[in-house]
Amino acid sequence: MNTKPDGAPSQDTPSTFALPVVSDRTGASPSAHTHGDAVEQALEHAAQRSVPAEGAYGKTYWLGLEEKLATPEFLEETRPEFPVGADLPPTGFVRREFMQLLGASLALAGASACSTRPSDERMVPYTKTPPEVVPGNALHYASGMTFAGHTSGLLISAREGRPIKVEGNPQHPINQGAAGIFEQAFLLSLYDPQRARVLRQGKAPRALRVLAEELATLVSKATDGGARVRFLTEPINSPMLADVRNRILKKLPNARFHSFAPIAQDANNEATRALFGQAVATRYDLSGADVILALDADFLESRPTHLAMARQFADRRDPKNGELNRLYVAEPRFSITGGMADHRVRVKSRDILGVAAAVAQAIGGQVSGLAAAAAAKAGELNADLAHWVEAVAADLKSKPGKSLVIAGERQPAAVHALAHAINVALRNTDATVHYTQATTPEASGFGEVNALVEDIKAGRVDTLVVTASNPLYTLPSDAGLAEVLNPATNPNREKLGVLYAAHYEDETSDHVRSAKDWFIPLAHQLETWSDGRALDGTVAIAQPLIQPLFNGVPEAEFFALFLDEPYRPAYQMLRDFWAGQSGLTAAAATFQSDFESRWETWVSEGVVAGTAANKVSATANLEAANALIAAYTPPASGKGDLELNFVADYKVFDGRFGNNAWLQELPDPITKIVWDNAAILSPATAKRLGFESGDMAELTYQGRKLSVPVTILPGNADDTIVVALGYGRNGLHEVVAKGIGFNANALRSVKAPWFDGGAQLTKVRGSYTFARTQYHWRMEGRPLALDMPVSQLTHPSEETEHILERVKGPIEPELQNILPGADFDYSGGYKWGMAIDLSRCTGCNACVIACQAENNIPVVGKEQVGRGREMHWLRIDRYFQGNENDPAMVMQPVACVHCEKAPCEYVCPVNATTHSDEGLNDMVYNRCVGTRYCSNNCPYKVRRFNYLHYTQGKAPTEKMLMNPDVTVRNRGVMEKCTYCVQRIERARITARVEKRLIQEKELKTACQQTCPTQAIVFGSLNDKSQRVTQLTEDPRAYALLHELGTRPRTSHLIRVRNPNPALAVATEHSQAPEGGH
Amino acid sequence: MSRLSAATLLAVPAIAIGGLMAYVRSPHVTFQQHPVEQPIEFDHRHHAGDEQIDCRYCHWTVEKAPSAGIPSTTVCMSCHAQVWNKSPYLTEVRKAFFTDSAIPWVRVHNLPDFVYFNHSIHVNKGVGCATCHGRIDQMAAVQQFAPLTMSWCLDCHRDPKPNLRPAEFITSMTWTPPADKAEAAELGNKLAEEYDVHSRTSCSTCHR
Repeated sequence: MNTKPDGAPSQDTPSTFALPVVSDRTGASPSAHTHGDAVEQALEHAAQRSVPAEGAYGKTYWLGLEEKLATPEFLEETRPEFPVGADLPPTGFVRREFMQLLGASLALAGASACSTRPSDERMVPYTKTPPEVVPGNALHYASGMTFAGHTSGLLISAREGRPIKVEGNPQHPINQGAAGIFEQAFLLSLYDPQRARVLRQGKAPRALRVLAEELATLVSKATDGGARVRFLTEPINSPMLADVRNRILKKLPNARFHSFAPIAQDANNEATRALFGQAVATRYDLSGADVILALDADFLESRPTHLAMARQFADRRDPKNGELNRLYVAEPRFSITGGMADHRVRVKSRDILGVAAAVAQAIGGQVSGLAAAAAAKAGELNADLAHWVEAVAADLKSKPGKSLVIAGERQPAAVHALAHAINVALRNTDATVHYTQATTPEASGFGEVNALVEDIKAGRVDTLVVTASNPLYTLPSDAGLAEVLNPATNPNREKLGVLYAAHYEDETSDHVRSAKDWFIPLAHQLETWSDGRALDGTVAIAQPLIQPLFNGVPEAEFFALFLDEPYRPAYQMLRDFWAGQSGLTAAAATFQSDFESRWETWVSEGVVAGTAANKVSATANLEAANALIAAYTPPASGKGDLELNFVADYKVFDGRFGNNAWLQELPDPITKIVWDNAAILSPATAKRLGFESGDMAELTYQGRKLSVPVTILPGNADDTIVVALGYGRNGLHEVVAKGIGFNANALRSVKAPWFDGGAQLTKVRGSYTFARTQYHWRMEGRPLALDMPVSQLTHPSEETEHILERVKGPIEPELQNILPGADFDYSGGYKWGMAIDLSRCTGCNACVIACQAENNIPVVGKEQVGRGREMHWLRIDRYFQGNENDPAMVMQPVACVHCEKAPCEYVCPVNATTHSDEGLNDMVYNRCVGTRYCSNNCPYKVRRFNYLHYTQGKAPTEKMLMNPDVTVRNRGVMEKCTYCVQRIERARITARVEKRLIQEKELKTACQQTCPTQAIVFGSLNDKSQRVTQLTEDPRAYALLHELGTRPRTSHLIRVRNPNPALAVATEHSQAPEGGH
Repeated sequence: MSRLSAATLLAVPAIAIGGLMAYVRSPHVTFQQHPVEQPIEFDHRHHAGDEQIDCRYCHWTVEKAPSAGIPSTTVCMSCHAQVWNKSPYLTEVRKAFFTDSAIPWVRVHNLPDFVYFNHSIHVNKGVGCATCHGRIDQMAAVQQFAPLTMSWCLDCHRDPKPNLRPAEFITSMTWTPPADKAEAAELGNKLAEEYDVHSRTSCSTCHR
C-alpha cells in the first residue's frame, strides 16, 4: 500500500539518486551559479547528466525491506548517515565486560609510540636456531582441517613458530588455494584461551597417565570382548584413525562404533546406497554443466566440496569463457546459491519433492515411473510453479549430458533419489555427476544415535566414549541422549562411565560430571599430526604448527589408549600407518625402500598423491528408488500453519564455531545480522501474521515452545519460518558463544530434523534489537552493483546504454576533478589496481575473514556493530532488486578503492592519509589524530574508526595470533584497506634483492588469495599481461561512483545473468509494479 | 620600550617551543650515546675490531630478513667451545647453552612498532652497517649511534646517494667515501645506478 512502483520512487525518499539534491539547491539558491566553485560545478554537471528518478537506470537496487518500503520509521532512522548513537561515548557494564573478553593489546603497537622508550626491552634469541627458520621471515606449512567427515587441505604461515594465517593448499584438489571461512577462522580457535585444558575424572583433575592405566585395565580385563563399550564419533574419514578403530575392534570385537555428524550427507548417502547397493560418494563437475537445477541445494556454500564447485561454477559465469551456464534454484530460504541463480523460485521445503517429481515427469523416459509415484505423494503444483518447472525441464532436456540436478542435504532421500534418477535419464552420469567410493562408508546419522540410546536405556552399556562434537547440543531435543546421560532422568546413570573428548567444556561436558566420567581436553588439529580424506578421497597429511598450548591430548593418542599398547606419539602412529600402506601405490615393491622420500613429499605437499577415490562403475538401479519414495511421508500441511525450516548456519555451522569471535561478528551473507540468529519470515507472511522485524514471538512446534526474535527477509518462501542452528550455546567456559541467539535444537525432532509443517508463531510482548551491517554506509541507491542479462552486453538497450554511459563514460577533467591540478604520472613502475568480478562473487565472506586475519582487524561485539562501528575493512554489500517478495540478489565486495583523486586525503588536517607514487592510498596510523574527516568525506564509506581500544586486554595466546607485519591499531585511529601493503612491500624487497620485477603470482592480497571463485584479482595495471589489467579493460569493468571523478583503482565487473527466454515473460510479469502489496 | 616588550612577549614562546623541539631531538631523548649494559659483557671492540670477524658471521640474517638477528647461543659457542672455553666471563653463555635457556639481551636500537625497517633491502642496496650503527668496532658496550628519528631516515630516503658504498665494503667499519666531493658524487651516482637505488618516501614504505 505504501510502496511506490519500482519505476518512479519520488524525489524525497532516500532511495532516490542522491545527486538531485543539487538540483534542489539550484532552485533554492540561485547564487550557486555565481560561485563558480569547481565542486559546485561538478555536482551540477553530474546532476544535469543524471536523471530525476533512479528507475531510469532500469533497475531499482535496495538494501533491505524497510528501505524498499520507505516506511516513515525507516526514513527517520536512516536519514542521518550514521545510526543513532554512533557518536555516543561507551556506556554500560556489559560492554566493558565484553571488551575484557575480546579486546586486545598494546603489546605490538602503541607503547613505543611516545619517544620515551621502555628502558629495558629484552631480545631473546634462540639457543639454537632451527635450520629452516630465518627470524623475521614467514614459513609455510601444508596441513589440514577435518570436520564433519571432510578434510580441507591448508597452507599455514608461521612466524617464529606461531601460526598466523591459514590459506588453502594450492596443491589440494578441492581447495586449490582457496579456503572458506571455517578453515580460516580455525586459527582463532587454536589460540582461544577458553579452550578446555584440564583432564578430569568426575570433578577431580587427573594426569593422562591415570586415564591410560584405567583404560588399560578396562581393555585387558574385558572378558566379554568389550560388549559393554560404545563409541560415538564423527564420521571417521582419517585412514589412520580408521585403522586404529579397526584395531580397537580386534581387541574388543563386541564393542560398537557409532558415528554422527549433525550436518552431513546422510540423505544422499541413503539414496545412493539404495540406488547402487553400496556406499558411494557423489561428486559434481560443474565445468561441463550448461544447465543446473538446485533443489534446495546450497552447493556453492554448503560443505564439503563447495570450494571446488564454486570455482567451476564461477568459471562458467564469465562471458569470455564462452557460453554462460544457467542456474535454476528452487528453495525455501534465500541462500548464497539462490543469489547466484538465473531463475529462482521460492517454494516450501515440502514442495521440493513435487518440483523434483514434476521435472522428472516432464523428462520422462526411465524416470516416469518414479516421477508418478513421487507426484502422487507430493500433490499438485500450482500453475506458476508448473510453468516454471516446464521451462526448467525443457532446458534440462535440451542439454543431455551437459545438465545437472542437485538435491540439498536438507531434503529427504526420496528427493535425492529423484535427482539421481533425473541425472541418469539425462545421461549426466560420468559427465557432470561422478560416483566414487565413499570415504566414510559407515552409516551415520540419527539412526546411529538412536541405536546407542536404546542400548544405554537397556543397560547394555558400561562405558561410552564420545568424540563427536558436542552431541548433546547438536542433537534434536527428542534424540534421547541427553536424558540417558542426565542423572536426574536416568536412575542408572551412575553405572555408566562416559569419556568425552572435546576442545571445550561445552553442553555435553556438563553432563560428564559423575565419578566414573572422564573429560579429556583434545589437542587442536594444528597442535597434532593427523590425516584425513576429502570427499573425493584425496588424503591430506595435517602437520602441527605448534606444541599443544593447553595440554590437549591428540585424538589419535586418545583412541590409542584403548589398544593397551606402548605409547606412541601421534606422529609415530601416523608415520607407521602410512609406512604400512604399500598397497596404495602401484609400485609396491619399491615402496618401503623409498618411503622416507615419499613421506617427506606427502608432508611438505600436504597431499598423498594418488589417493583420490576410485570410480564406482555400478549402474543405478532406479527401481530401488521406488522404495525410498514409497517410504517417505511428506510433512502434513494444515491450512494456515507454517513450515518450520532448520538450516546450518553460515557462520557457526552447527554451533561448533560458536566460540569464534571472528565468525560471530561476520555478517550473515543474506540477512547481514551479526552475533545472532533469527526466525526469518517472508514479507507477505510477516504482514499476514502482523510481524515486523525485531518483534518477539513464541514459536510453537509439536508442543515445544521457544521465544524467538523475528526478522523479515525478502525472497523467503511464504508461510515458512527459517531458523539457523548453532546459537543459544550454553557451554560452561565458552564465554564468547554464551547466550547469543536461541537454540533451535530445542524444537527439533529426529523425525523431521530439517523441516516440518505445523509450526505456529504468535506475537508476544517485547522487541529485539539486531545488530546488522546492512543499513550502515548505504550507497544511497545509486547504480553501484550492476547486473544485466548477458545479451545486454552485446545488444545494449537504451537503458543499459544510459547506465554504461553513467558508470563508464568519459569524465570532464575540468568539472569532475575533485583534486584539480596536474595529474601524477603513474606510468613508471607499478600501478596497483584491483578488479572484482560480480559475476563470480557469491558473497561467501571468505575474503572478509582473510582480511581480518591478515590485517589484525579487531572484533568489536554486537553493541558496537549496532552503532555502526564494525571494523571489517572489506564488506560485502548485498543488494536486492525487483519484487520485494521475490527479489534477485547481487553481492558486491567493497573495500577501499584507492582513488587516484582521493577525497579523504585532502581533508586530513595532519596528512595521515596520503598517496603513494604507485597509487596506494596510504594510511599512517601514527599520524592520525582521529578527526574522522576522511571517513566523512569518503564516498565509499570504507574507512573504519577505532572508537574504543578494541585491541586491549588480549590473552597471551591471542597476542600470538597477530600478524607482526601489520600495526595493531590503538583507540582513536582511522584504518582501512591498504591493498595488503605489507605483502606488496615484502614482495618488493624480495624482488629487489633478487634484482627483478615482482611477478604476478608471487603477490596476492589476502582476499584475492582465498577467494574460492577468483572473483578478486590484484596486480599492476602497468603490466598489460596481468589478469588485473585484462579485467580492468574488460567491457564489463566499471568504476564505482565514476561520476565523482575519484578515479578508483578498484574496478568492478558487471554481473551478467543468463535468463531463460521462456521464463522471461513470467519474470517480467512478477516484477510488474505491485500496487497490491 | 613597547617594541622591546613585544619582542620579549614573542620571544618567550618562541624560545620555549624552540627549546622543546631541540630537546626532543637531543641525544637524551633519542637515547644516543648511552652505552647499554648487557647481561653478558660482550665487547664488539674485540670481536669486530681486533679479531676482524665479519658482522654477518653472527648477524647472518641481515641480507635476507627484516631483522639482522641476535645470534643464537650456538653461534657464540661455535668459537667459545674452543677458545676461552673456561673464561669466567663466559659462564653465563655456557650456562645458557647447556641448559637451553635464552640470554635476555637488552635492546639497543628500538624503533616504534609502527615502523617496519628491513635490513636486507638496505644492505643489498649498498647502505653499510656503519652508516647507521657507527663504529661498532670501537664500542665497548653498544650504543645507539644515529638518532633514528623520522627526519634522519628521510634525509637518506630523499637522497640516498651519499650513503651508498660498494657491496664489498658493506660491513667495513673503516670505509669512507672519497674525500673529493666530485669523486664521491660520481661514486654515489654509479652505485645508485648499479644497485637500482631509488628515493622512496611514500608513507607505506615504512608504515603499514
